[in-house]
Amino acid sequence: MRAEELKGHLDALLLAALEGGPRHGYAVIEALRADTGGRLDLPTGTIYPALRRLEQAGLIAGTWSVVAGRRRRCYRLTAAGQRALAGRRAAWREFAATVSAVLEGGPCPDPA
Amino acid sequence: MPGPGLIARYLDALAGQLPGPVVEELADGLEETYRRYLGLGLAPEAAAHAAVAEFGAPELIAAEFARAHPARRAARRLLAVGPVVGLCWAVALVTGRAWTWSVPVAADIVPALALVTIVALLAVAARTTRYRAGAAGCIGTAALDAFMIIGVLAADPAARWAVAVAMVASAARLGLSARLLRPVLAGGG
Repeated sequence: MRAEELKGHLDALLLAALEGGPRHGYAVIEALRADTGGRLDLPTGTIYPALRRLEQAGLIAGTWSVVAGRRRRCYRLTAAGQRALAGRRAAWREFAATVSAVLEGGPCPDPA
Repeated sequence: MPGPGLIARYLDALAGQLPGPVVEELADGLEETYRRYLGLGLAPEAAAHAAVAEFGAPELIAAEFARAHPARRAARRLLAVGPVVGLCWAVALVTGRAWTWSVPVAADIVPALALVTIVALLAVAARTTRYRAGAAGCIGTAALDAFMIIGVLAADPAARWAVAVAMVASAARLGLSARLLRPVLAGGG
């Protein structure tokens, strides 16, 4: 799998990583690395601007806390983020089913 | 922050390009990365090298933040609409024979200097990671529009159509500046 293709879905992957509950930036990266089997090979520092972009779009919300004397920003999905994730998930399933139907000769997905 | 000098130098490089809260968040993530490598058995210096390498070049991170920051979008939008509003005022001032109005010299010089400063601030914000330039540019644009509307109403109460058009353009841009400023100020810097 190409890392570039995964990066194209970074926003959806970040939203999905927060679906289970709030996480700070580094925990999000670790979750994504684990879930992608290490195939998401982004510089760790570039995840933070991506999180900030999702926050500005209102899809996630960040709050500060203090852990071990360091300020830490934790993110959670907003209601809009949950809706966006559901939309991305539905679109992905339709896309994957359509491509699979052609490449693997499976049943054609219901367009509805 | 504890850890070798390499991490401190890396954070200094970030601090030169990004707002304080953003650097604090990155420092927390970098500390976690560093500790993970220590936990894997690396010596402190090697763990710091690995953590910094994993994080990516400070310039790359700053550029990604700049791309995501509303200050850059705000600056680009104001730079895009600037010539239109400027043209409206140029037509209004020429057709209104503004040079015949009796206004203090400062009323001629101040807006001209302000305009040059605002364009410079917006140009900086549109191309760099200096977000405060974007906020200052938004505030400056709004203040200039308010000054022009009030000042010209005071100097030339007989409103001609061109003056009215320019005032409407300035009022519309004033609203745009105010709308753009809110996410710029909330955007972490």
